[in-house]
Amino acid sequence: MTAPMERIQVLDSIEKDIITCLHSAGQVFVELSKEKSSLKQAENHTQTFLKTLGAVENKLTDQINYLTQVSTGQPHEGSGYASQKVLQMAWHRLEHARSRVNELDRLRVKHVQGRRSVQASNGQQGFSSVPTGSST
Amino acid sequence: MSGSRALPQSKEALLKSYRTRLKDDVKSMLENFEEIVKLAKGDHDTQLSRMTQCEQDTYEMHVRAANIVRAGESLMKLVSDIKQYLILNDFPSVNEAITQNSKLFRTKQAECDQKLMSLRDDMAADLYDLEEEYYSSLNK
Repeated sequence: MTAPMERIQVLDSIEKDIITCLHSAGQVFVELSKEKSSLKQAENHTQTFLKTLGAVENKLTDQINYLTQVSTGQPHEGSGYASQKVLQMAWHRLEHARSRVNELDRLRVKHVQGRRSVQASNGQQGFSSVPTGSST
Repeated sequence: MSGSRALPQSKEALLKSYRTRLKDDVKSMLENFEEIVKLAKGDHDTQLSRMTQCEQDTYEMHVRAANIVRAGESLMKLVSDIKQYLILNDFPSVNEAITQNSKLFRTKQAECDQKLMSLRDDMAADLYDLEEEYYSSLNK
């Protein structure tokens, strides 16, 4: 996994942890609301809630500390436009070559069809010029 | 390693606000959770009638549960803001992403040009044969 995506993945996992946290809190209340509530279950869910909330706080603090260290306050002026343009031009060259080859292919097909029709008409003329046998 | 860098005030204030929001939301979730669990104990020594006390506890539980959910949503918003800030201001990651993309684009461009060159070579070879055929025929 590349470094740029790693941090975004970590933030995604923090979001999932927050949802787990809320879910665990809900489970605790559901358990306590039952007539015959299992204290062990409630305790487990409470532990999950507290542990997850602590993990969320720690991870978010780490992220904020990292951002404090790397951010400069200036806008980033780098861009991948140059290489993008170079690739686009290569694609255009390829498309141009493709269109010329297609044109050649079309010419070839047209030529072949023309030759066939000429051959067919020559063949018919040959049949018609053969003299018919005369009866004596 | 150098000490703290002088960030522009707005960025410093923004990061400080992120810390404050985090601290407040986590505190809110913990406190409201704790209070709901205390309410669930059911305190019988009150001056109010039992029905009234139950109603009050129910209402308080609703409000505190809503507070927990609000704090959770606020944390989600905070994560979203941090993601946005990261994309815009995390220079090492942005630089790496730009380098990777540039490398990929240039590799693709080299591949395209290589294919064009091989096509050119093939066509040149075929053209040689065709020219030979044409110029040695009677139909030129």
